Amino acid sequence: MGKVNVATGHLQGCFGCHVAILDLHEDLIGLLESIEILRSPINDVKEIPEVQLGILDGSVTNTENRETAKKFREKADKILAFGTCACFGGIHGLRNLHPLNDVLKRAYTDTESTLDGKIPASKDIPEMLPHVHSLNQTIKVDYYLPGCPPTPTMIKKALTDILNNREPEIPTKNLCHECVREHHEMYIPKREFITENVTTLMELENIDPKKCFLEQGILCMGPATREGCDSRCVKGNTPCRGCMGPTPDALEQGAKMINALANILPAGGLMFMEDVVGVGYRYALPVSIYPHVKEKKTL
Amino acid sequence: MNIGLFISESEKAISNIIDLQSLASDYKNLASVKIFNNLCSSTSIRAVQEEIKTKKLKGLVLAGESPLYYKKIRNGDLLLKTIHEAGINSNMVSFVNLKEQVAMPHRSDPSGATKKAKVLLDVGIEKLRFTHDVDTIGVTPKKSVAIIGTTIGGLFAANRLLERGYKVHFIDNVSLRDLGDYKTQAMPTLAYIKNHPEVTFHTETPTEIYGYAGNFRISLGDYSLRAGALIVAIENDLTYTEALYPLIRIERDDSGFFKPLISDTSTVETSNQGIFVIPYVKDTPLSYIIALSDSASTLADSLLSKKEIEHELFVSEVDEEVCGGCGTCIKTCIFHAAELDPIKKLSSTNIKRCVGCGNCVSACPTGARDQISAPTKYLISAIKILAQYQPSNNIKILYLACEGCGYPSLDYAGKMGVEYPTSVLPLSVRCAGRIDTQLILEAFREGFQGVVICKCKDDHCLNIVGNIDLDRRANLFRAVLKSRGITPERLRIFGVSECEGGSCVGSAVEFLDYLRNIGGKA
Repeated sequence: MGKVNVATGHLQGCFGCHVAILDLHEDLIGLLESIEILRSPINDVKEIPEVQLGILDGSVTNTENRETAKKFREKADKILAFGTCACFGGIHGLRNLHPLNDVLKRAYTDTESTLDGKIPASKDIPEMLPHVHSLNQTIKVDYYLPGCPPTPTMIKKALTDILNNREPEIPTKNLCHECVREHHEMYIPKREFITENVTTLMELENIDPKKCFLEQGILCMGPATREGCDSRCVKGNTPCRGCMGPTPDALEQGAKMINALANILPAGGLMFMEDVVGVGYRYALPVSIYPHVKEKKTL
Repeated sequence: MNIGLFISESEKAISNIIDLQSLASDYKNLASVKIFNNLCSSTSIRAVQEEIKTKKLKGLVLAGESPLYYKKIRNGDLLLKTIHEAGINSNMVSFVNLKEQVAMPHRSDPSGATKKAKVLLDVGIEKLRFTHDVDTIGVTPKKSVAIIGTTIGGLFAANRLLERGYKVHFIDNVSLRDLGDYKTQAMPTLAYIKNHPEVTFHTETPTEIYGYAGNFRISLGDYSLRAGALIVAIENDLTYTEALYPLIRIERDDSGFFKPLISDTSTVETSNQGIFVIPYVKDTPLSYIIALSDSASTLADSLLSKKEIEHELFVSEVDEEVCGGCGTCIKTCIFHAAELDPIKKLSSTNIKRCVGCGNCVSACPTGARDQISAPTKYLISAIKILAQYQPSNNIKILYLACEGCGYPSLDYAGKMGVEYPTSVLPLSVRCAGRIDTQLILEAFREGFQGVVICKCKDDHCLNIVGNIDLDRRANLFRAVLKSRGITPERLRIFGVSECEGGSCVGSAVEFLDYLRNIGGKA
């Protein structure tokens, strides 16, 4: 059997997903026996060749991203949305909460450190789209692999599945399922909130590394987030931020997490938290039910 | 699946306003479409039975009177039983309220009413696409009745039941209440009861009551009793009513006393099967109290003399592929019906305790829990369909009404002749606690300018905490609306009691004015 031809491409994002491929280390050598990477940002080939598998990371936020995505779709038999940004729009999807003009003004003219700033405008640079999109809002996607970035184990497994003509299996349960922390109060059928207060991350000198974050009054997105990341953050004593996106039965993460939190933590405390919206929609706003700010009309 | 659409003209009350013929012609793709003058007449019931059998119908849309109407009249009940026996599962019958919520309140706007009826019919049909048959279990009834309240009504009911061979457990915080004026008349009955071997008295306050008609379990401190039925006869003892309310969840009147479901036709029945009430009526003659206690004991007897009582499991179900065992449903359910296997990390529903209110469905952060009677996918789809209705000025609101108070109050408004614009589009949900904030976002996305949630007043929620949990969620959720540039004023929550139809509609109309004034701003 010949090698499978692969091209990888980068849209809008931090490049972390491509770096994560390199994190496969020695496993990459094994993998390269079955695939041939004809094009990637790493080998700096500009043209997109015809391939069996196109791997795209990043979200679609400007005209260049859109063009690249479409070219990949033309040239590749199958497309893998690789990483959280490609799957759900990612963290920069949060810019959808503001009209594009406000975003540009803030970035180029209004920041406190900017003097005589001006919004760049030239036909040589790609134009920003009004909203950030996930990959499947732009082109048809065949396979998904969420994660910010996906772990080497996940990448290896997904690629192996694809090479064997199987759709990569993504877990369906929430992170609590694989979380190894101890749960007590969450399992007790009592209507009282599990803590008296909500603790913000700034106050976290003394987090119990073994106890459920929510039971310590710390907002953890685990309940509304898909498992499969090996709960890296949680093991590192940091609450889940939700990068694996919503579980398949939920329509979105933000509203679902709010529904749940209202019965777990004191709402009063949550309301005064700095950013319930930013927490709930950190990674998946572009694929949420109401994915961007409403355009204001004047009468 | 063969779906039938049976429309009632309601003796012309509907057909005078809504063009039913043209509506019916839109549904020729269904297996059967029929228009009846009155769906509940004996001739119609026979025709319905015949049609279900010949067309092999498996789903049915009943369009006409409010679903509450069928429960209130004997023939309505008979119609539903006939449909069930003809082979259609209860969960595969959906109701479209064309009378109280379309024809009556929109009588000055027949063309608007007809268009609105169309989207409501589409919603009714849509429900059948997403629901499945509800399972039933058979309960062998216990030959015992718990009577709460050693009052005059309770004593007479006990007398009748003992004569028919039932065990009676009296529960009250005193061993015998002051019978006041009726002390002398009650003497012989009291003597009979006190000497009867099948009577027990319990002065502990119940801490938990669960189970179903035929088999209730009543916890009294450190021991528990089993009873096939409950008769609540505590007159005007408000303190005791408050203590019992969370345990038995039956309707209360505006003074806070327990009341029957319908005060004129079924004087002792409640919405909770197997629980009967001898309501308090000020200055009633003894003969009336006796009539009520006779009714209660007769109904308890006819229920418990059955070999088996069929109980439909309208509960919350869990998608085991998705539930990760976070425990949110455990924290949410006040009935202790959500259970968790901490080893498997999987939650499940205790069918004896679950009342199907759907609060855990809203709370579940994964969407693994769903409500058998109204799955989330159906509600989302219903919102999309309702949004297709285009009122002339383009401003419309989604009116989410809880089955406890919101829905009946909207019916009441229609019956009272209150008119309001067709742009108020109702969607019934089981309880305010079932309102997942995802539904609200969906409504705004689909182009509703406002969302109204009409729920029970603070301590009147039949599911005890449904309305409280809705408020908690809505309070947090307002930040989400704001973040999308939607002023939180576009979401309004009203608490009403059943008979305040006028005020809830009035608030909705005022809300429409407000939305018109702010236009597209915010």
